[in-house]
Amino acid sequence: MGKFSKPASSVKLDTDPYGYITKSKKIKKDPFRGIGRDTLISNLFKTSYSKWESNICKKNEQEAAMERGYMGRILMVDLTKGECIEEKIPDELYEYYLSGTGLAAKILYDRIPARADPLGPDNILGFVSGLLTGTGSMMTGRWMVVGKSPLTGTWGDANCGGSFSPAIKRCGYDGIFFHGISKKPVYLYVGNRTAELRDASLLWGKDAVETEEILIQQNDEHGKKPKIVCIGQSGEKISLISGISNDRGRMAARSGLGAVMGSKKLKAVVCAGNLRIGAADRDQVHHLSRKFNEFIMQPTPNISAKVLLWAGKILGMLPIAFAMDGSATRIIMRKWGTVGVNQMSVEMGDTPIKNWMGSPRDWGSKKSASVNPDHIVKREREKYHCYACPVGCGGICATTGKYKETHKPEYETCLALSGFCMNDDTESIYYLNEILNRAGMDTISAGATVAFAIECFERGVLTKDDTNGLELRWGNTEAIKDLLEKMIAREGIGDVLADGTKKAAEKIGKGSMEWAVHAGGQEPAMHDGRNDPGFALHYSVEPTPGRHTIGSFQYYELFQLWSKIPSLPRVKPISTKNSRYRVTDEQIIQAAALSRFINVVNGSGMCLMGVSMGISRIPVFEWLNAVTGWSKDPEEYMLIGERIQTIKQAFNIKHGIEPRDMKISDRALGLPKLQEGPNKGRSVDIDLFMSKYWDYFGWDPQTGKPTHETMNRLNLGA
Amino acid sequence: MSFQITDACTGCGACMKICPTGAISGEKKKKHVIAEDLCIECGACGRICPKEAVLDQLGNRCTPVKRSQWKKPVLDLSRCCSCTICEDACPLGCIALCELGMCNKHRYPSLIKPELCIACGFCVTDCPQDALTMI
Repeated sequence: MGKFSKPASSVKLDTDPYGYITKSKKIKKDPFRGIGRDTLISNLFKTSYSKWESNICKKNEQEAAMERGYMGRILMVDLTKGECIEEKIPDELYEYYLSGTGLAAKILYDRIPARADPLGPDNILGFVSGLLTGTGSMMTGRWMVVGKSPLTGTWGDANCGGSFSPAIKRCGYDGIFFHGISKKPVYLYVGNRTAELRDASLLWGKDAVETEEILIQQNDEHGKKPKIVCIGQSGEKISLISGISNDRGRMAARSGLGAVMGSKKLKAVVCAGNLRIGAADRDQVHHLSRKFNEFIMQPTPNISAKVLLWAGKILGMLPIAFAMDGSATRIIMRKWGTVGVNQMSVEMGDTPIKNWMGSPRDWGSKKSASVNPDHIVKREREKYHCYACPVGCGGICATTGKYKETHKPEYETCLALSGFCMNDDTESIYYLNEILNRAGMDTISAGATVAFAIECFERGVLTKDDTNGLELRWGNTEAIKDLLEKMIAREGIGDVLADGTKKAAEKIGKGSMEWAVHAGGQEPAMHDGRNDPGFALHYSVEPTPGRHTIGSFQYYELFQLWSKIPSLPRVKPISTKNSRYRVTDEQIIQAAALSRFINVVNGSGMCLMGVSMGISRIPVFEWLNAVTGWSKDPEEYMLIGERIQTIKQAFNIKHGIEPRDMKISDRALGLPKLQEGPNKGRSVDIDLFMSKYWDYFGWDPQTGKPTHETMNRLNLGA
Repeated sequence: MSFQITDACTGCGACMKICPTGAISGEKKKKHVIAEDLCIECGACGRICPKEAVLDQLGNRCTPVKRSQWKKPVLDLSRCCSCTICEDACPLGCIALCELGMCNKHRYPSLIKPELCIACGFCVTDCPQDALTMI
């Protein structure tokens, strides 16, 4: 355990006979236990001061924390004992890891014992806010959930917008962490630096939207609506593809962390604080924000989705690729949201079709009209903005049937539930989006698992006897709906499939693993690595495998990192598609830069769509300096990103993960090659990519393990 | 540095009642205290205290103002970008994005609970667009 990780004082909450906490009081703990020698000396020095002097010292610490964007504290909840301990985090730790997933990576690396069961009491589940959240900077309202993933056994994190991120900080904490397992279902109520575990027996079994409604009603006594994250039935039933919801179904869906929450019998976290979040130079933050907002608020050209569809068709056919520019991201996000690229991505070969076997020839523009962006936006009743977002890419859509409205389905959801399963029924996508959000099941993994099951059925490995009578054929909407309902309820065949493709293939056997496309157990998203090998690389090499929100060569073009970091290579405006598949040093530099940069983004609580507009437009590094009062240059922030990336990889090594095993399945790498469509004949030499990437980071190029020299260079200890 | 209560306090409890974060404690008819780590410097205690017993973060004595004369935020829609920062900044949930735009589908903020507003002005200071003013 590092020298920063022990509290000097703590808040402990008394428990009642049932293990639920009723009131709080401050207790003094042994301030020297487990603390390194240097800290010990400094603590001895502090405690020898008079009461007056220690009060001054406390004030200064508080002021320092208030003016640097972070709150300087975390809350650690022991669900087994029913105890909540508040811990101070020293400034140095923020300078080393920022906040968000960076700070969380340090805490989880130190405290989760090696090879701990992800669904056992030793796993730690954390909800963290970003360093920039609540400081007046824009598009910085992402909250992140972290833990050891039960789906992959690796470092797990998931990221979500909504309104929960500032709510964590307004309670006085940068993160709320849970370990242990409660005997009964509970939820945590957090106020202004107070916390209380409450009985959630009556909430158990309710879906995420119902849970949120009830908890808002119960905890609305102070005027300000509390912000809530919770699991639905899927997390309760420990489905390994379940996520965590906020704002009526916005999901932190990946890594299966909803199952960790379910395993801990933790139904929800309610944040009802109203403390202030400081910034070192709020005027400068606002100045930068206004400039960025001017860019966002420019009028959007009135183009139809057909233009994008045809652009996709042309790009798919051409042997050359054009470098993308972030100004297009602004137009697409503002007008349609992520669904804007639905049909374009299919046509250009970015979207995998029919469980990675198909192409636009199988699911052309007539079928993809079911996810036409213009039609989806017509259904939009109102725009939805996450916290601190001027774009408003989300929306609330009207639906027919049991539920009256749903969050506008995202690109990933639309394509995972349509083209991936060959389903062209529009109405079913809204319905499935809503039931999966309410149950708290990841729409990407759920769609991918359904496609896998259909392929098993079509190939005769699954029969009607196995599927409880379901005729699992490509595009059979009713069967897809029934199957997903069974997966949520874990009934019959649904129970076999509720843990994702890899676990399902292990249970089904008969060679079905060949059709289960995953990276380390997690289903990759709806971006094809055969079209952009950068996706295949990041799906395979990241400490959280199978994630699409970290890097690709397209992201490198959009982020325009070279505009702030001159040592990074610029991209050519036009290049041949063939050049993308050659493993060059330049490509590795680009991939490593993206991994480092995304750790800074996730430490700051920034939105990927924001940085996709290009960092010459969204002032990430300038905001960080203005908020914290630091004067770091972008290279220094990238070093922090490298440190976070390495500690996450070290986390995996500590837990017995062999990084080479995280490689994405052959089919998604073009083995065998597709016979038609934009990705015809494409394959990716992923082994060489992986080795070169690891080598660049100073990890062993054969095993992917960070070397002692690298750990020492990054002050991570060997 | 948080607000502080001086010995002029008579323990009427008005500040404790209005404090949005629960930072003030004390027994009736006895001097009240402000918890530094919970004080958000909203100034409500200083405006409400009839005995001028509250010092602000700079040590200045706060003068009471009749509640009906407390300023309230007013929105300039042409500047607003619906970013929800004001809604989140309000410690009492007085502001909500509930007005649907006339010619778009974005929602805009409105003072939905004016009776709860404590004139802290956080919605104004936090708005990056300068779309709010206290009048």
